[in-house]
Amino acid sequence: MPEIFTSIALQHYLIVGGLMFAIGMIGFMCRRNLIIMFLSSELMFQGVAINFVAFGAYWGNMSGQAFVIFILAIAAAEAALALAIIVLLFRQKHTVDSQAFRELRG
Amino acid sequence: MVEFPEAFYGSMPLLAVSGPVSGEVISTAPMSPAVVVALCVVAGIATWLLMPGRKEVAIRRIGGAILLATGLILSAILVRWTSAWGGMGFYFWAFAGLAIFASVRVVTHTKPVYSALYFVLTVFATAGLFVLMWAEFMAAALVLIYAGAILITYVFVIMLASEAATGSVGSSADKTAPEHDAEARSPFLASLVGFVLAGLLIFLVTDKGSQIPVPEQRSLPDSLGSAQDLGKNLIDENAVNVQLSAIILTIAMVGAITLARRRVMVSNQKGPVESVLGPATPVDDNPHSIPVYGTTNPRHKAYPET
Repeated sequence: MPEIFTSIALQHYLIVGGLMFAIGMIGFMCRRNLIIMFLSSELMFQGVAINFVAFGAYWGNMSGQAFVIFILAIAAAEAALALAIIVLLFRQKHTVDSQAFRELRG
Repeated sequence: MVEFPEAFYGSMPLLAVSGPVSGEVISTAPMSPAVVVALCVVAGIATWLLMPGRKEVAIRRIGGAILLATGLILSAILVRWTSAWGGMGFYFWAFAGLAIFASVRVVTHTKPVYSALYFVLTVFATAGLFVLMWAEFMAAALVLIYAGAILITYVFVIMLASEAATGSVGSSADKTAPEHDAEARSPFLASLVGFVLAGLLIFLVTDKGSQIPVPEQRSLPDSLGSAQDLGKNLIDENAVNVQLSAIILTIAMVGAITLARRRVMVSNQKGPVESVLGPATPVDDNPHSIPVYGTTNPRHKAYPET
């Protein structure tokens, strides 16, 4: 069996995961479509999952992959709830523009 | 277990071990902080230009070109950093570039359906990265759950909640997009915050990455990506977490059903929108306890006799 990767390769994966997290954060902050905002949060989940799997492979154990399983479960729950709420909001105002729900700000 | 041909391993990034021996730490950072700051500033400005807004298409194209050039420069620096000991594999760069490109397109595309499809591309590229990290089962699970289940739900909701285009806002290419898709909300601030975070992460990883402790056991376990070991780990070490995620999924399912059953009554006249929620099941076996919404006719409110 070949040798596991050096710390250099680990850092490359960490950079990719961090960039995906940052891009998802930018999307969550500046898009106005509610659906795209939650899609951006899924992007942030992906970046974190890459980091988990990279560290798990770096240490040679399964904990990182086990946590990615939980990330998937949370992402599925979040998608179900968020999309149900978005459909409800769309039925109220016939738009998915987040600016249309400014009164929720209080 | 299945043995892959040696050429397959040789082209994979993690296995190109002509590099430093285990224990020896690479101390030199690949780039100075100034380079990181400059790259992140340029990338932030490019992302700002790339965001959908009331700009010309040409400006967005320029922003995309600048962002692409910045990514190429960053990857060139990283390639030069690692090429001293044999270089990285082709597959890592292909999958990583694809993932970053697709995630940028998710954020900047004006049509939600295309954003969702680019997210599918991101999921596939991430699955490729997982395969490179010996997480074959996780790659399959990611494609099944994300691209198969979650993204289909997103596409359904995009189709359910799509609205008529206004066509009055946006550049010529975005004529068909409604206003909230064609125009971003404070893209400059978002790009600033996002790329400050990205610059900090890149600088931390490249500068302080040599302080990550090196594991003693450097050889790969035989079955790192197997589903058997993953399940064994889940049951042995994360049993409580598995129960908790089951509870969370159940709660989310019940909550989604409850939300979907909620009737929304939109009044015709201008005024506060009324949202009502009544009992979904009969109280005390009385069928008249289920309210009927959406009508003022008392005959319609009567429970249908069977």
